[in-house]
Amino acid sequence: MTDNACQQYLKDPEANAAHLRTCAKCNAEAMALAEKADVEPPSLDVNALPLAPWEGSSHRAWPLVLGTSAVVMIVALALLDAAGMSPLHVVEGSLASMEAIRGLFGGWATSLRSASLGAQVAFGVAFLVVNGLLIALLRRAPRGMDA
Amino acid sequence: MRRMLRLFVPLTFVAASLVTAMVAAPFGSDIHAPLKFDDATTMMQKTAVTVTLLAVWMIAAVALTLLSGREIRYSSVEMRASALHCFALGLVAMTSFVLTAIVLNYLIPYHVGVPLLFALGVFAILTKIYGMVAVFHAVGTLIAGSRTRDQLAGRKWLRGDLAMVVIGVLILGAIRLIPIVGLVVWSLTSVFGIGTALATKFGRREPWFLAFRSVET
Repeated sequence: MTDNACQQYLKDPEANAAHLRTCAKCNAEAMALAEKADVEPPSLDVNALPLAPWEGSSHRAWPLVLGTSAVVMIVALALLDAAGMSPLHVVEGSLASMEAIRGLFGGWATSLRSASLGAQVAFGVAFLVVNGLLIALLRRAPRGMDA
Repeated sequence: MRRMLRLFVPLTFVAASLVTAMVAAPFGSDIHAPLKFDDATTMMQKTAVTVTLLAVWMIAAVALTLLSGREIRYSSVEMRASALHCFALGLVAMTSFVLTAIVLNYLIPYHVGVPLLFALGVFAILTKIYGMVAVFHAVGTLIAGSRTRDQLAGRKWLRGDLAMVVIGVLILGAIRLIPIVGLVVWSLTSVFGIGTALATKFGRREPWFLAFRSVET
C-alpha cells in the first residue's frame, strides 16, 4: 500500500479502519499496540526486594550514640587518671609522633640528596610509576550502587 | 562476598582471641606478662592512650556522619562492593603519599616544598579520617546491619548510619586493644579507608579527572 494511505490511516485510524486489511505494516503495528495495551503490568513485591542501603539510614539513635560515647569517655578518663596522665599528655604524644614522622621523611630526603645519581634517578622513576598507577586506579568509576 | 565476610569476621575474632591469650598467658618460662612495676605502668599508660584516642575517634566519627552521612554510606557501600580495588588503591595511595612527602622534603631548600608538604599532610590526614569513618560504617553494617525490612522495622536503636558507625568504632576499638593484632588490623583498616575515600572521591562519586571525548558530528 502507498505511504499516502498509511498517513491517512495514522491521521484518523477509526475512519480508515479498512486500511488495516490491506496494509501489513500498519496491521502489525496495530496488533503490537493492542497487545501492549492488553498486557497487565507485572506485579511487584517490594518486600521481596533486597534491603537498600539508604533504607532507615536517616534514623538517629541518640540514646545509643550518647550513651556509648559517654561510657567510652568515662573509661578513657578513668584509665588516664589511673595511669597518672592527663588528656594533654595524649595530645602532646600525638604531636610528638607526627613530628617524629616528619623527621623521618626529612632524614630520608637528606639521604636521597646525598645518594648517587643512579639512586636518585631510580627514586624518580619509582615516584613516577607509583603516581601513574595511582592515577590509573583513580580513573575507575565506583560501582558500589550498581553492584 | 558478604557470606565470606560473615564467616571471616567470627573466625578473625577467634584467631585474635587465641593470639591475645597466647601473648598474655604465662606459658612455661616464657612469661610475657609485665614483671616489673614500670612495665605494668607503661602497659596501663598505653591502654589509657589507646582508649582516649578511641574516644576521639568516636567523636570525630559521629560528627562526620552527622555532617555527611550520605557520603559516608556511599563510601561504605563501595568498600563492601569492591573491597579488593579499595585495598589496592589504598596501598598505592599510601606509597604515593610517602614518596611524595620525601620529594617535597627534598624540595624544602627551594622554598616550594614547605607549603606543598603542609597541603599533602592535611590531605592525607583528612583522607585517613574520612576513610576510617567509612570503614567504621562498613564494619558496623556488616556485623549489626539489618538484613530484612521486618528486622529493620523491629529495631529501635540499632538502625541508621550513626548507630552503624558507633558499632563499627566499638568493634574495631576492641580489636585495637589486642596487642600486635590490633595494630595490624588498624593498619589494614587505614589502607582500606584511604582507598575507599579516594575511590569514591570522599563519597561524592564524581570522576577525579575530566574525560576528553572527540566531538561527534
